Amino acid sequence: MTTIAADAHGHAHDHHDADHKPGFFARWFMSTNHKDIGTLYLIFAIIAGVIGGAISGLMRIELAQPGIQYLQGWASIAEGGTASLDQAYHLWNVLITAHGLIMVFFMVMPAIIGGFGNWFVPIMIGAPDMAFPRMNNISFWLLIPAFLLLLGSTFVPGGAGNGAGTGWTVYAPLSTSGSPGPAVDMAILSLHIAGASSILGAINFITTIFNMRAPGMTLHKMPLFVWSVLVTAFLLLLALPVLAAAITMLLTDRNFGTVFYDGLKGGDPELYQHLFWFFGHPEVYIMILPGFGIISQIVSTFSRKPVFGYLGMAYAMVAIGVVGFVVWAHHMYTTGMSVNVKMYFTAATMVIAVPTGVKIFSWIATMWGGSLSFKTPMVWALGFIFMFTVGGVTGVVLANGGIDDVMHDTYYVVAHFHYVLSLGAVFSLFAGFYYWFPKMSGRMYSELLGQLHFWIFFIGVNVLFFPMHFLGLSGMPRRYPDYPEAFAYWNQIASHGYTIMAVGVGIWFVNIAYSMMFGAKAEGNPWGEGATTLEWTLSSPPPYHQFETLPVIEDNAHH
Amino acid sequence: MTQAMTASLSNPAMQAKLRRTGLMALSIALGAFGLGFASVPLYRYFCQVTGFGGTTQRGETVPGVLPVAGKTMSVRFDSNVAPGMPWQFKPEHTTQTVEIGARAFTTFIAKNMSDKPVTGTAVFNVTPTQSGIYFTKIQCFCFTEQTLQPGQEVRMPVIYYVDPKILDDPDNKDTQQITLSYTFNPVEPSANRS
Amino acid sequence: MNIVKSLLAAGLLALVPALAGSYPAMAQEAAAPAAAVESMAAPADIAAANAAAPAAEKVAAPERMKPTEGIGMPSPGEYTIQKQFSPTGREALWMHDALLLPIITVISLFVLGLMLYIVVRFRRAANPVPSKTAHNTFIEIVWTVVPVLILVVIAVPSISLIAEQYKPAPKDALTVKVTGYQWYWGYEYPDQGIPEYVSNILPPEKALENGEPNQLAVDNRLVLPVGRPIRLIITAADVIHSFAVPSLWFKMDAVPGRLNERSIFIEKPGVYYGQCSELCGVKHGFMPIAIEARPVAEWEQWVRSQGGDPTAKAGAEPAKTADTAAPVAPAKI
Repeated sequence: MTTIAADAHGHAHDHHDADHKPGFFARWFMSTNHKDIGTLYLIFAIIAGVIGGAISGLMRIELAQPGIQYLQGWASIAEGGTASLDQAYHLWNVLITAHGLIMVFFMVMPAIIGGFGNWFVPIMIGAPDMAFPRMNNISFWLLIPAFLLLLGSTFVPGGAGNGAGTGWTVYAPLSTSGSPGPAVDMAILSLHIAGASSILGAINFITTIFNMRAPGMTLHKMPLFVWSVLVTAFLLLLALPVLAAAITMLLTDRNFGTVFYDGLKGGDPELYQHLFWFFGHPEVYIMILPGFGIISQIVSTFSRKPVFGYLGMAYAMVAIGVVGFVVWAHHMYTTGMSVNVKMYFTAATMVIAVPTGVKIFSWIATMWGGSLSFKTPMVWALGFIFMFTVGGVTGVVLANGGIDDVMHDTYYVVAHFHYVLSLGAVFSLFAGFYYWFPKMSGRMYSELLGQLHFWIFFIGVNVLFFPMHFLGLSGMPRRYPDYPEAFAYWNQIASHGYTIMAVGVGIWFVNIAYSMMFGAKAEGNPWGEGATTLEWTLSSPPPYHQFETLPVIEDNAHH
Repeated sequence: MTQAMTASLSNPAMQAKLRRTGLMALSIALGAFGLGFASVPLYRYFCQVTGFGGTTQRGETVPGVLPVAGKTMSVRFDSNVAPGMPWQFKPEHTTQTVEIGARAFTTFIAKNMSDKPVTGTAVFNVTPTQSGIYFTKIQCFCFTEQTLQPGQEVRMPVIYYVDPKILDDPDNKDTQQITLSYTFNPVEPSANRS
Repeated sequence: MNIVKSLLAAGLLALVPALAGSYPAMAQEAAAPAAAVESMAAPADIAAANAAAPAAEKVAAPERMKPTEGIGMPSPGEYTIQKQFSPTGREALWMHDALLLPIITVISLFVLGLMLYIVVRFRRAANPVPSKTAHNTFIEIVWTVVPVLILVVIAVPSISLIAEQYKPAPKDALTVKVTGYQWYWGYEYPDQGIPEYVSNILPPEKALENGEPNQLAVDNRLVLPVGRPIRLIITAADVIHSFAVPSLWFKMDAVPGRLNERSIFIEKPGVYYGQCSELCGVKHGFMPIAIEARPVAEWEQWVRSQGGDPTAKAGAEPAKTADTAAPVAPAKI
């Protein structure tokens, strides 16, 4: 797509200055360097992901067979004494809530936007750093108190037991009059802080991308990953403040006697759902759009071809972002909305399938005629494309308001959003991780372990999540710690799938440890001629301060 | 050239540009935050104007509409009391058939079962939700607070009419019965609050 | 686990009088469900109290209906939607099984097929020199327009399905009020004069003994007639619940301070199970729904057994106009 006129190696004399790093404390705790902050985000996301993943492990262990096997024991540990059955059930609600909130706000978002966005957006547009480096630092460090508040909430009363058991959606009135105790307040405050962190990050990305592109790097020449982060930043900017407002009103309803969401006192609990999903639906695109960007880079690199239909790809993301704001009530089909409203949201929701289809087919067309090599990042990208398709088509099913009546709040929905997130967003995270690991660390990962990681994880998540479609069709509701015998078969298989997936994640950690210690030294561009974006013109790892000299982007007239 | 470029990021003009974009982005976020709160009155207004969610209309003393001879609507009355509300609260009749467009009258009976005066207000909606825009209340105990002395029983009237425009609405072509539902909940009397 | 068992045993004991007969007479005040429910045993106490209340039982209730395997409940290892027993349910099931499922399967396989072909045909060994094609307006239009057409094919029946589901019940339909509580359901038949009674989950031992599926069986079912239009009006007393019965394609949220309405029509006698489908707190997973659908004659017998009048018709009350009605008691307006 573009070639780089400035020869990075030609400025070796700059590297002494460029590599001057501050001391350990100043570097990691007061960091204003986008790459270091990106690294911090990635480490944070890995820790949060391990915690969130362990929680889902507890859930799968309990759900492996009908009856309540372990919950009461775990609750007894959490409550410090023999826990009642109610406390056990409450613990279940705390687990599902924590899993959702952690994975959304503390794993996917920090990793994909904070981690890869920070690391590569400035580099890809030829900027030396983010526009507001100190604000960047604040963005990251706000996440720590946010996460600690959420984790801390599980140790204070939240109703029948400790912790917030409202679900990640925090629906009123369960989250207001239905959950006495400080746990829910802490969880809400945690969301406030995490939201503030993301909003600051979004402002930073927008300012950086609009103002700090290297000469010649027009908007229509930006790599698609940068486009995806730009669209995502706007979604964050418009959606998260609405969530902040919605949950602020939850707090005042809980603590200061307001009745915004109290249907018995002139408020309306449906209003909370409208506000939540006005945030919540764009939020799912916030989690997946940067993944789209990553996949586009990887597919192009390993096909040795420019991205097919570049403009279509960029504006498909814009379209998804825009339409994503007018479909929110498809999460509320069973609330008793009017018939016309339901028809509108059915039709509007299906529209999203069109730009999403454009993306899928453009990736395929990018590979068509290419010269494909199946390095680990590419395998993950291929996995992403297919799994995201599967998750996408079940979304088309759910979009139908009349069909959703039987599927709403069942495991079909759980299967759907795990296919687009756990197999979509997470696959793109792993793809991005393997793609950029050599760049970030300066060392090559183990190809063998990477491939093994992919195949085991791929099999694991499919065994884990595919049966959930069956459970949902057959009627199993979400957020249940126990179920009739009839659901035992697929639940047990799903739990086996979790085990397989966990082994896959274990291999990933082995790979990281192995590569950091024994990995071969990575060249500036380990991927060869397909890798055309600016990060591959720098050394691996890049100098501490890159682009002291701005690169000039020449058009090689591919259009 | 190198110097020019390096300088360009720290020079005041660039810094001002960054600040301007940053502030614009921030104001978008603040606007969205404000919109979140503004949605409370906006949502209420939207419901009132469109009858969304079965929100009923409030009408003048005399309906500006004429009864439509031979066209009737069955109206059902439903009553609820919120948890902690020590009242019995029932419609006198569960259903009545009214001429569309004519003023109709019904009564709810409420009794304070506690030994304290209790003030309550009622929230309400109608179903099917698409009929809300055509259901107009002229007088209703739900417009104000009601206070009942210990053991006191009152009959509370509702005067309403069904707008004949409902007959022309394709969404309501199958609507044969409208259910009007009230839920009474306890409040601090306004006098005591101020 | 011991605590579970003892609690359940306590609940079971409390339920014995309620279940010894067929249906308990339900003569409690509507206020009874508002009583605080502290533990598994408490609702059972309410049920027991209900049963103990000496209502004049003029007509014997029909015998408690036995559920049929695979009807109105999930089947072991099932991978399809439950069999449907309402007209809209069958229409929706057709739309899913005959339209949506084939379409999404074909699309997924099409994408998979393309990818497999590409992986083989364009691997580096087979195709060392990549093409540089990055545009093809025709194909880009095709993959925009074809999905639009597919979506239109889906949208047309989808919209008419919604219209069908939203069709209100006629005025003479049976009206039943459903109220969601933490964590049980209350059912009331306002026209038949049956006051609200509560429906609690049965403990596992009792479900087993009854030959009913664990987690789905309840003490007092919602008894409805077959072949008659029914209007369910649904609300909740505390937090949001959702009244859901998969085999009738029915799901409607129960929202405190607000009434929802949905019509339902059951084609065959049977026991149709469902579960609360909106997170409502600690025992969200333990407030199932069981509808017992009976031929009209049996349903009428059941209504009489509850002291109700099955022949009472809705909408019979003559209209009073405000102009002629005498002004009534001085409630503040």
